[in-house]
Amino acid sequence: MGEGLTIDSTLTCDVLVIGAGGAGLRAAAYIGEQRPGTKIVALTKVASPQKSHTTTAQGGMAAVDPKDPADSPTFHMFDTWKGSDCSADQDVIKKVCELGWEEVVWLERRGMHFSRTEEKRIAKRPFGGHMLNFGETKAFRACYEASRTGKGIMDTVWNESLKYGVSFIGQCAATELLFKNGACIGAIVFRFPEGTFSAILAKATIVATGGNAKMYLVTSNCRGNTGDGLALALNAGLPVLDLEAVQFHPTGMVGPGILASEALRGEGAILRNKEEEPFMERYAPTAKDLAPRDLISRAIIQEMREGRGLFHEGHKAHHVWLDLRHLPKEVHEKKIQEVSSFFKRFVGVDPETDLCPVTPTAHYQMGGIPTNEFGEVQRDGQAVVPGLFACGEVAAASLHGLNRLGTNSLLELITMGRVVGERVVEYLKDAKEPDGLPSDAGHIIFDQFAAYLGSQGGESFAHIRDTLRNLMMEKVGIFRTEKSLLEAMEKLRELREKAQHMPIGTASLRANQNLWQIWELNNLITVSMVIAQGALARKESRGAHFREDYPERSDEFNYHTLAYMPEFDKVTLGERPIDMSIFEAKGEHCELFDYIERKY
Amino acid sequence: MSDQYRITLEISRYDPETDLSWVQTYHVEAGGILRFVDVFRKINDEQDPTLAWSSSCEHAQCGSCAIMVNGKPLLACELLVREAVEHFNTNTFRVKPITIAPVLRDLVVDLEKAYDRVHAAKPYLMRPTAPPEEGDEYRISPEVLETYVEATQCINCFCCATACISSHHHFMGPNAAMANIVRLMDPRETAREERMDLLYGESGVYRCHTARACSFVCPKEIDVSHFLALGKEGKF
Repeated sequence: MGEGLTIDSTLTCDVLVIGAGGAGLRAAAYIGEQRPGTKIVALTKVASPQKSHTTTAQGGMAAVDPKDPADSPTFHMFDTWKGSDCSADQDVIKKVCELGWEEVVWLERRGMHFSRTEEKRIAKRPFGGHMLNFGETKAFRACYEASRTGKGIMDTVWNESLKYGVSFIGQCAATELLFKNGACIGAIVFRFPEGTFSAILAKATIVATGGNAKMYLVTSNCRGNTGDGLALALNAGLPVLDLEAVQFHPTGMVGPGILASEALRGEGAILRNKEEEPFMERYAPTAKDLAPRDLISRAIIQEMREGRGLFHEGHKAHHVWLDLRHLPKEVHEKKIQEVSSFFKRFVGVDPETDLCPVTPTAHYQMGGIPTNEFGEVQRDGQAVVPGLFACGEVAAASLHGLNRLGTNSLLELITMGRVVGERVVEYLKDAKEPDGLPSDAGHIIFDQFAAYLGSQGGESFAHIRDTLRNLMMEKVGIFRTEKSLLEAMEKLRELREKAQHMPIGTASLRANQNLWQIWELNNLITVSMVIAQGALARKESRGAHFREDYPERSDEFNYHTLAYMPEFDKVTLGERPIDMSIFEAKGEHCELFDYIERKY
Repeated sequence: MSDQYRITLEISRYDPETDLSWVQTYHVEAGGILRFVDVFRKINDEQDPTLAWSSSCEHAQCGSCAIMVNGKPLLACELLVREAVEHFNTNTFRVKPITIAPVLRDLVVDLEKAYDRVHAAKPYLMRPTAPPEEGDEYRISPEVLETYVEATQCINCFCCATACISSHHHFMGPNAAMANIVRLMDPRETAREERMDLLYGESGVYRCHTARACSFVCPKEIDVSHFLALGKEGKF
C-alpha cells in the first residue's frame, strides 16, 4: 500500500453521483424531486457542474411528441435500430424513444430556454438519420436551444439539483469503487485542491463520468474526458461493453478538434481535397456530403492516404477542406453564425473567403459500463451489482449499439438519467446504510499514486501522451486491421510500463496538476487496451467499427462485446446477446426490426 | 499560415505547500494560431510540468480557463497568440489568475465561493406558473424569448465579476445579478416578490456603479449592463 497515503475523512450519504453532468444530475434531480430529504452528493472534476462536457453539445435532443400527426415514436425506434447497424438493444430503444417527449416537457417546465416556433411551441429541426415513415423523408424531431442545446440541458439539471439541495464537490475524482458483500457502498475520492483522499459511503452509487476520447490525437472531447469511470469499473473487476465502438465525427476543426456541425453541410458546404475536388461525389454519388458520419470519415482518411490530403503547418496536422465560400451571405450571418465564428476565432480563417481545414475528430463512445434497461450495472452481462448504477456516455444499456445518431445522445443521457433516478428511489426503500469501510479500502489507488509520486523519471508525460494519441489515431482509429491492432497492443504494453514511471514535477499532493494528469493518462491507456482488444476480436465491420480485413457486417457477430480487464492486459472477452424484443413481439412492422441491411 | 512568434509570458505563480508567490518568466516560440491554452500546454511539455492552469472544453462554452492577461480578464482558450500580439501591441504578457476567487496553485482558482453567489441568486424557476391545460410545454413567443435569451448564454466564467469595480465589495456580481433578472423576465416564474427582494437587497443591483466593464469583457458578448439596467429600472 502507498506509503503515507491515507483516507483522511469519511462522509456518508444516501446517494453518491460520480460525475455531475447531464445524466448524473438528471438522476439526482429526479431523486431530489421525488424523495425529498435524500442526502445526495455529486462529484465533478471541473469547478462546477455547469462546466461539464454536456454543455458543449450543439444540435438538439431527439424526441417525438406523441400528438405529432406526422411523426411517431415507432419511426424513431426504427431509425435508432437502423443507425446502430442492428446492434442496439430494442428494450432500451423502446423505453428511451417513448420517454423522450415527457423529458423534453420536464426540461421546459423547469426553465430550459428552448427555441420557439411562431406558434410559441418548442421548435424542432431535422438531423442526420432521423426520418418519417421508416426512412422516407426527413423528420423534424430535434428539439433545440439555438446551437447550445447541451448548455440549456446542463443548466436546467444543475439548477434543479441545486434547488433540491444536492451537495456538489468540485475539482475531485472518484478513484476507487468500494464494495462489501458484493454490493457497491461508495467510492474513494481524491480532492485536487487539498490533495487528500475521502471515503464517501453511500447506499446507492451512480457512475456518470462521461466519455473517454482523449486518447485520440484529434477529439471534440473536453480536457477531462479520460475514461475514469471505465477504468473504475475495470479495476473493480467489472466488465465493459462494446468499447470498440468509437464514433468519429467527419468534420472537426483542425487544431482544437471542435465540431464543425453537420448543419454546415446541410446548408450546402462541400468537402474538397488537395486538388479542391469535391471528392464525396466519388464515394457517395447520391448523398454526397450528407452521407452518414462513419462513411464520410472513412472517405476523408482514404483521400489522405492516397496523397490528396493537406498538411496544416500551424497545427502540424493533416486535413481536407470544408468549402463554405459559395454560401449566401445571410446563411453565414444568420444560420451558421456560431460555427462560423468558431472558425474565425479558433482556426483564424474566415469561412466567407477562406477554405476551412477539417479532419475527422473522435467524438463519442457508444460502448460503456453494461447496464440493463433500468441502468443497473451488470457484473456479467446479466446479474446486477446491488447499489451500483450507471448512465450517460459512460454507460451502455445500449441505446446506440455500434453507431449513434446525432441528437440521440442528449436524449439518452436525460431519459436514462431519469430511469436510474426511478430505480434508485425504489432501491433506497430497503437499502441499509453501509457499516463502515472495507478493510482493503484504498489498496488500488494508493498503490497507483505511490508509484506516480515515487517515480524517478524516464520518458516524459508529454511524450507518452503524444505517442498514445498518435498510436490510437493511426492504428485503432477509423480504419483497423488485425496487423494495426496487434501493433497497437504491443505499443500499449510498452506505454503502460513507461506511464508507471514518468518523471513528476513535484511530489506535493496539493493542487498537483501533474499528478492528476498522470492518473488520467493511465486511465486512458487502460481504456485504449480494451478498445484495441474488442476491435481485434470483432472480425467484421459494423457501425463505427471498421475492419479493412473484414469490411462486411457478419451475422456471426450479432452480439455485444463484454470485456474484463482486472489487471492491465489480462483481458477476458465475453458476449451479451442483443435484445430483439420489438422484433420478437411480432407486432406491426416487426420485420423492420430484424437484422436489416443498412443503406441510406 | 506559418507565422511564428517569440513571446514572453510573465506568469504569477503560487505554491500552496510553501505559501510562496512569485512571478516566473517563460520564453516561448509559438505559432500565431496557437491559443493561450496551447501555450500553457507547451510550457508544461517543454519547460515546466509544474505550472498549473485550468481549462475544460477549450472552446468558450464552459468558462473554466478565465485568466487575466495584461490586466484584462478573458478566456485563455479564445486568445490566439497572433491576436494577443496585435491586440495588446506587445510580445510580453503578464498573466495572472482571476481576482474574484482564492488561488489554489498558479493560475488555478477555487470557484466554490464565487459560485455560491450564483447559487444565492437562485438560477432555477422558484415557483413556476401552473402548466398549460394541454399538459405539454408552456407557450412562449419567439419575441418574448428574444428579450432575455442573450442573458441565458452566460457561462459563469466570472470575467465580468473580475472586471467589476463593485463585485469585490458588497455587490453579488454582474453574472449573479443577471441570473436573477433572467428569471424575472421569464414568463414562467411567479416568485416575483422574492426575486425583487434579492434584486434590491443588500448585495443587489444598486451596488452596481454602472461602469459597464462587464459588457466590455464578456467573452460571450452579452450586454450584461443592459440587463442590470433593466433590473434597476424594474423593466421586466
